[in-house]
Amino acid sequence: MSATIDAAAAEAVERIMKSRRVVRAYTGEPVADDVLRRIVETARWAASAGNRHLHKFLIVRDPETIRLVRAASPGMLADPAALVVILVDSDVAAQHNMQLGRDRSTQMDVGTSAMNMLNMAHALGIGACPVTSFSHAGVAAMLALPANLEPHLILMLGQPLPGARAARYPNAPKPLTARDLTYWEEAGRHDP
Amino acid sequence: MQSAMVLTEDEALEILTFLLCAADISLVEPTHYPIFRLIDGASRLMGLMLAHDPPRSGDFLRAFKAEVDERKVTMMWDMDAFEAFVREAPGRIAAEVKRLHDATAAKASA
Repeated sequence: MSATIDAAAAEAVERIMKSRRVVRAYTGEPVADDVLRRIVETARWAASAGNRHLHKFLIVRDPETIRLVRAASPGMLADPAALVVILVDSDVAAQHNMQLGRDRSTQMDVGTSAMNMLNMAHALGIGACPVTSFSHAGVAAMLALPANLEPHLILMLGQPLPGARAARYPNAPKPLTARDLTYWEEAGRHDP
Repeated sequence: MQSAMVLTEDEALEILTFLLCAADISLVEPTHYPIFRLIDGASRLMGLMLAHDPPRSGDFLRAFKAEVDERKVTMMWDMDAFEAFVREAPGRIAAEVKRLHDATAAKASA
């Protein structure tokens, strides 16, 4: 790729990442299967520790199943049209002699795959919200998961309700800047 | 008090599931989150009741649920406002319960 194409790609990626927000209000319209497929495909390309790919991605579209999952998920504050449940496969972990529960890379990989999907969803005009506040045992039962698959994160997806954020969060605090969160060379030094 | 069935068995089980799952995650969530979960659970219960259009409390519940959903989210950035609402909410529902109770009693004695 030429430098010109790189610059354009970087700008596009930067624009998507900086404009993405958590969306918790949806119109109720479905998300097309090909859109769901494109979103989940980005999870496969997320950084994965040791290239081990312990994770599986369960797409749920059935409204009744979503309702059951929501009952076990206090963190699901909305009614999404679809879910992507990120599962950790303990069988694959065992093949790699991993110590689940002690190895932090498993959770890192949940995060990287979720972030890819959040950005892709936004790029495709789909609202998305990650949910970690759910009962693992409860959601596993609602989804009839086999013992080797444990749910670690739920991604809510839906067509975003226009204007919902502005209407519901009028007094939201001023966002932090990148500088607020960045140190150069030593902790506490915000500038180069 | 007058009674009317405003939840199906499935809906009651749904709320029961929510309560137990909320207890589960409260073991690991920030210490003020369980308060939010209770408030949100109240909202979910109101939503299920409203689907059956309860004749006596419907108007109150519709307005109260909308307010709960608007004000519960202040937990994320304004704990003072959230705590003020948490202190205020019980009086609101209690006043409605008392109003319905008194109306029933008055009707019975008439």
